[in-house]
Amino acid sequence: MAEVRLDSVTKVFAGDVVAVASCNLSIPDGQFTVLVGPSGCGKSTTLRMIAGLEAPTDGTIHIGDRVVNDVQPRDRNVAMVFQNYALYPHMSVERNLRFPLERRRATSFWKSLVSGGERIRRATETAAIAARVAEAASQLEIDGYLHRLPRELSGGQRQRVALGRALVRDPQVFLLDEPLSNLDARLRLAMRTELRQLHKRLGATMIHVTHDQEEAMTLGDVLVVMKDGVIHQVGSPAEIYERPADRFVASFVGTPPMNLIEGSFQGGVFRSTSGGVLPAPTQGDGEAVLGVRPEAIRVSASPGGGAQVITIERLGDRMDALLDVGGVRMTARTEPMELDEGDTCAVEFADAGLHVFDAGEQGLRREN
Amino acid sequence: MRPRPLAALLRHVPLLIGAALMLFPLWWMLVVSLETEQRAGMAMVAGDVLNVWPEDPQWHNYTDAMRDVGSTPWITFLDALANSIVVTVSVIVGTVLSCSLVGFAFARIRFRGRGGMFLLMLATMMLPAQVTMIPLFLLFRSLGWVDTLLPLIVPAFFGSAFNIFLYRQFIAGIPEALLEAGRMDGLGWLGIWWRIVLPLCRPVTAIVAVFSFIYTWNDFMSPLIYLHSESNQTLAIALNSFRTQFAGLEDVHLLMALSVVTMILCILLFLAAQKQFIEGLGSGAVKG
Repeated sequence: MAEVRLDSVTKVFAGDVVAVASCNLSIPDGQFTVLVGPSGCGKSTTLRMIAGLEAPTDGTIHIGDRVVNDVQPRDRNVAMVFQNYALYPHMSVERNLRFPLERRRATSFWKSLVSGGERIRRATETAAIAARVAEAASQLEIDGYLHRLPRELSGGQRQRVALGRALVRDPQVFLLDEPLSNLDARLRLAMRTELRQLHKRLGATMIHVTHDQEEAMTLGDVLVVMKDGVIHQVGSPAEIYERPADRFVASFVGTPPMNLIEGSFQGGVFRSTSGGVLPAPTQGDGEAVLGVRPEAIRVSASPGGGAQVITIERLGDRMDALLDVGGVRMTARTEPMELDEGDTCAVEFADAGLHVFDAGEQGLRREN
Repeated sequence: MRPRPLAALLRHVPLLIGAALMLFPLWWMLVVSLETEQRAGMAMVAGDVLNVWPEDPQWHNYTDAMRDVGSTPWITFLDALANSIVVTVSVIVGTVLSCSLVGFAFARIRFRGRGGMFLLMLATMMLPAQVTMIPLFLLFRSLGWVDTLLPLIVPAFFGSAFNIFLYRQFIAGIPEALLEAGRMDGLGWLGIWWRIVLPLCRPVTAIVAVFSFIYTWNDFMSPLIYLHSESNQTLAIALNSFRTQFAGLEDVHLLMALSVVTMILCILLFLAAQKQFIEGLGSGAVKG
């Protein structure tokens, strides 16, 4: 197990495309860290640089106490699980699992032909590899189809084999590049739980890349939110959710996304640029962006209330309502209730779900 | 929908006619090879019509032909057969190894001048073989390789443009992640080529192998240029010397018998590789 540290790591691709810009990141030992962000935010590039599949243009990458910038992928003691599994199609499951171990054998086949001692060492090694494969296979419950080819497996089974191939190597760091995105929704949920359990059991450092913020929130001990090659916030899922560092993080994390309302504080009220007036939930001044979590809006059916329902999406145990609150549109998430499109209702804001951000481009969080 | 017999028949008539036309020379060769010397000669010279199957098949024509070719009974034929096999197998191995390796490099390794070099390589396809014939001969003569099998074998280990192109196109379709997984597992470029790319290229390899086989097995020109002594002949040359040995048309039945023997390996190989072959021909078309 090892800590991974990135110091001012930059990656510029041909044509001056900056994929990762001066990224400083410390990934604690034994933690499940999730790099999350929209497509093209540099999260996969960051992971690939840690794996050694891309060389950083600038900066240093440490794994444990080693600088690995010039270390070959195979010598970094990391294992990677790819989005499309990347199982060798012409090898059985068992050979797929054995392959990374066989590449790292200390003994030589040719020497074992002529030297008795080497032959014994090699046989011992072969037995150890077989035992390791069997152990990983039973951990992931894939021992039932070790002799099948990857194409004869379902998506979920392939994903397990891909995990198994990483597992057998007993790496310092697991790198998971969107490993769940090719699975259907139900299977993804199941595999999420399994990944969590696997991490708990192994206690290994795992770095997971995803564009799915829900997956990130449920899996990660630590979340790294990225956009345009820049890290916007690093923190626990609760920190990211409760205290987003800027407007991007606020809007990216949470379903439905946070309502962001541009406007200014004026005499105890918040006046939106669209002309709506909201009671100022927190004291502030000047131009700002008010962030309201949909879950922080308490809706009560009340004829003659201050808000009007525009649309409603019912999800069974809850519902999302798009409201017009004093001329400002916002989405509220509530328990199911008797409301219809066009009805009026009353709204209240829970203080904990309200955030104030700077009006500028960066939109940094303002502390209350 | 039930198949309509009449429509099926109409569709099959042109197919059957086409197949009959294609098979006619083969049938002719087979029948002549089993005829008596006299009837075979009549069919050639006087245009006598042959039976669908000889009344009295002369099976000994085959052993006679194999025995009588060249100056030493049996030995000349066996030498030629062995030479043909050695040359063909070596050429197939050389072509598959070199072309897949170069195709892999062109498809997957980023290096300066890759595009230009690829175009240059493709341009060699425009060059007729006759143009390089004399310079190549002079080169091999200066190496002292004339009248050895080397000039027929060694060039195959240096790739050929069309096969490299086939491999490159196929390898470009292999997911990048597979090769990256190979790198993570500790393989270098050569290891990735040998352990991942080459096994996945089976359909292309089947095509390249079959084409190389047919071309090399039937190749007449290169052996004629480079091989002089009888013990170094390939089957194609032996067949030809057989024709001149008996002054042309007189022994056409034996010539046909030896032709059948020469062809039979080709046909057997095609039948054996047929599944792979067809798969490979279609692989570029629909692979997602």
